[in-house]
Amino acid sequence: MTVRSTHLALAAAVAAASLMSAGAGAQTANADKEKCFGIAMAGKNDCAATGNNSCAGQTKADYDAKAWKYVAKGTCASMEVTLKDGMKRKGTLMPM
Amino acid sequence: MREPPEANDLRAWQSVFAASLLRAGAIMPDRQAVHRNNTRASLSSALAARFPVVRRLVGPDFFRAMALCFIERQPPRSPVLAEYGAGFAHFLDGFAPAREVAYLADVARLEWARHLAFHAEEAAALSIERLTAVAPDRLEQVRLGLHPAASVVASAWPVVSIWTTNAHDQEVRPLGDGAGSECALVTRPELHVLVSALPAGSDRLVAALAEGNGLAEAVARAATVEGFDTATALSVLFRSGAVASLSVGSFHSMELS
Repeated sequence: MTVRSTHLALAAAVAAASLMSAGAGAQTANADKEKCFGIAMAGKNDCAATGNNSCAGQTKADYDAKAWKYVAKGTCASMEVTLKDGMKRKGTLMPM
Repeated sequence: MREPPEANDLRAWQSVFAASLLRAGAIMPDRQAVHRNNTRASLSSALAARFPVVRRLVGPDFFRAMALCFIERQPPRSPVLAEYGAGFAHFLDGFAPAREVAYLADVARLEWARHLAFHAEEAAALSIERLTAVAPDRLEQVRLGLHPAASVVASAWPVVSIWTTNAHDQEVRPLGDGAGSECALVTRPELHVLVSALPAGSDRLVAALAEGNGLAEAVARAATVEGFDTATALSVLFRSGAVASLSVGSFHSMELS
């Protein structure tokens, strides 16, 4: 392959890769999500406000008030969970 | 109850005790065997938690026996339990009773890669727009830095499909006759460990990039493998959050946007 055609092949591949990625929904973008505290089941949280950086799935209790889970933007406050004592509580955008 | 050992015997007693903790047949006096049972049970539970698909493939009883063999041969070298199990896949390579399950060691490699990804340092991942923004004539000099949580497991077996169905499905889906070798990419976008399939040869691409080679050189090394596709490989790498830095030219700089 000549230098020129290597250029072209790589440019074409990058363009194609970009097209494949469009619409696939970048898994790295979280513009459409929000962190919702207090709604994650034990072991199902995405992270927590307790400063642990290897945190996903580490909660021991259901609906830990400091643990959060990503949810679709705008839906956190409408999430309602029933606590062990029968009380109902909604998700919040800040740790409780 | 046995009398506590004399002070001058303590060191000798401790080393005998420590050695017999991990050996199945060792004779332990009085009630000390309970400690051996606890040690072996906690280590094999740690391995079971770390290698759930390996466990499912061979069954819980076989897994436990296999784990105990490993624990005897490679006891922990660090007090950090999260670091235990690094040698498990390699141990399975030579574990004759499991030879029938030829892909077992590669599945263990994939599960260990997931474990490392889970605990890896956090960094922002770049989107593919960063690459498309580079002028076409400079693309070959692009250097990509991998995310700390990203790694590749290339296998002669369909390791991604085997892992996926055993990790997620109640009933294992049989793989078709066409199932061949697979190359797994492990990443951790949004703090979730993700397993994706890369085209064959992508392990070479990623290894070349990790060594600091430019994109043209890295693609050239992977292109010798049949089935490699540059566009698919780049698309999967960026989409899964495997790329954390990009620079053009020989100067390699970290760019964390």
